[in-house]
Amino acid sequence: MLKMQKINKVYQTEMVQTHALRDFSLEVNEGEFIAVTGPSGSGKTTFLNIAGMLETFTDGEYELDGVRVGGLNDNQRADLRNQKIGFIFQGFNLIPDLNLYENVEVPLRYRGIKTAERKRRIERCLEQVGLGSRAKHLPQQLSGGQQQRVAIARALAGEPRFLLADEPTGNLDSLMARQVMELLEQINRDGATIVMVTHDPELARRAPRNIQIVDGQMADFTLYQGAAEHAVAMEA
Amino acid sequence: MFAHYIDLGWRSFKRTPLISILMVLAIAVGIGITMTSLSVYHMMAMDPIPHKSDKLHHPQLNTLDDGRNWNTPDDLPYQLTYQDVQNLANAPVPALKTPSFRTGFSVHMNSPDVKPFVESARVVNRDFFDMFELQFIYGGPWSQTEQRDASPVVIISSEVNERLFAGQNSVGKQIYLDDTSYRVSGVIANWDIHTKYYDLNNGAFNDPENLFIPFSLTAVKELASWGNNNGWKRENIDTFQDKLNSEELWLQFWVQLNTAEEKQEYGEFLMAYMQDQKAKGRFNRENLEFGLRNVVEWMEYNEVVSEDNRVLVGISFMFLIVCVANILGLLLAKFLRRAPEVGVRRALGASKRQVFYQHIVEVSMLGLLGGLIGIGIAQLGLWGIRTTYGYYSDLATMDITMYLAAPTIALLASFIAGLYPAWLVCRTTPAIYLKSQ
Repeated sequence: MLKMQKINKVYQTEMVQTHALRDFSLEVNEGEFIAVTGPSGSGKTTFLNIAGMLETFTDGEYELDGVRVGGLNDNQRADLRNQKIGFIFQGFNLIPDLNLYENVEVPLRYRGIKTAERKRRIERCLEQVGLGSRAKHLPQQLSGGQQQRVAIARALAGEPRFLLADEPTGNLDSLMARQVMELLEQINRDGATIVMVTHDPELARRAPRNIQIVDGQMADFTLYQGAAEHAVAMEA
Repeated sequence: MFAHYIDLGWRSFKRTPLISILMVLAIAVGIGITMTSLSVYHMMAMDPIPHKSDKLHHPQLNTLDDGRNWNTPDDLPYQLTYQDVQNLANAPVPALKTPSFRTGFSVHMNSPDVKPFVESARVVNRDFFDMFELQFIYGGPWSQTEQRDASPVVIISSEVNERLFAGQNSVGKQIYLDDTSYRVSGVIANWDIHTKYYDLNNGAFNDPENLFIPFSLTAVKELASWGNNNGWKRENIDTFQDKLNSEELWLQFWVQLNTAEEKQEYGEFLMAYMQDQKAKGRFNRENLEFGLRNVVEWMEYNEVVSEDNRVLVGISFMFLIVCVANILGLLLAKFLRRAPEVGVRRALGASKRQVFYQHIVEVSMLGLLGGLIGIGIAQLGLWGIRTTYGYYSDLATMDITMYLAAPTIALLASFIAGLYPAWLVCRTTPAIYLKSQ
């Protein structure tokens, strides 16, 4: 699904060069749920942005679902992102002027999906996250947890094969965080590949596969006990 | 997607109403000022008879002695002498030709029922009406015989006909011009021309005359010219006949030349005429020169649109540029504040091009709105000109071209103003804003 080989990302200013990622390699298979952890400034978000084609990389090879990302122009990257990837952000990033229905509609419009199909998908996704009755509400009329569920619905509406979540529970209390995590697990069980950046070791433990990034490099692969149990449960 | 972008543009307008209204007003004021000056310029410079302006020509003859100059670029006098006009009018070529000058009368009905009034008149041959395409409501031009015999006939405008005959068919009725009774030969419809191109001597933007009488009456009635009378040599002019025989320049002359061949032949005729006159003791100059300009060339030659007008239009466009610069600043502030939203849209699949289009549609909406309000401001400005300067009453208006030009210029101006901010916002790196939101 995702294959990165010796990816480097260097931020260059007049005075300093900052290596956000160094020879970073990772392979993610279809249907995996991976938690990415690491200290602040380690390069987690840079990795996620490069995976989501929101940033370019300095050198290395990146293939997403068989497509070599390095050679794509902006429009091609936007198309690929729109068709293959769903994003979930820590800050929800809902557009405040648009109601829930319209927020979920945004990626579908850019994909050029017809009105009737858009409507079907939006209603289904909002139902899936338990907000079907609040389609006309504005984001600010919802709690943080509800807003994150809308963001998840928006990510799901495009029926992506690959979900990238950047601290999806970072702004939520523990109860809401658990609900969101359960929702992500359900989505993963339904077949989506998920890569989730998190600071929360408890959440990370719930993912079947963990990776750590330290100083822009893959530090360690740790399959936590809890995650192993999760995997066993999944297989069962 | 276009309809969606319009929807987003309208939402953006409502989200920041103050800044949006400010931008619309800036465009509106810029367009209003620009369209006011441009409309007047457009009317001044407009071809007054586009379908035959290349056929109607005004000849000029350089009658001046060697060493004499005239205040024209090529030293040719604008007007002609009576003897030249008579000779050219009596020549066999071309088929349609007419002398022309302005005179005037006290108009009355020799009865106490109608109050006399002073009216300017144009003295022409009957070809004038065909050449300049005047439309008759009643009757028609005087006959060839009446023209030859200097019969007292007159063609009146619908305005005078309304005044004297309450708009009824007055053909055959008599009116008095000064002390002479004239028979009405025809009534013409309102002659709607913005530029009095057939006589640019005394105000290019004055109204056309309301009375027309045969040129053959000039000598008979000793008609005084109400236009420019230019002498260039010492001559004793004691009688009207002296004036007719003099080198005084006070008449216009128009010919209709339908093809380039006709124009060339007429040029050759003019040269031959001058050589003949030179042999008779006139045209005391080594190089015989003539001019033969069509309507548009004649208007340019007479500088109908002065340099001042062009400068005014230039200044108003510069004002529009200042407005555009202000809008650019406001747009920058508005769009860059929206960078986080753009970041989200980019993350969700919007290409840079789509983000750019979205913002260009938004500024175009502001431009269109500003353009429409600008038309209102321009109307106000033109009304101000009309009420302040009666002379410009026919010029200070907007025609369909200007009504279409206003929103087009507004769209273009807003597009230029929006280009940089839209380009800047579509280049934002989404990753920066996604984390910080």
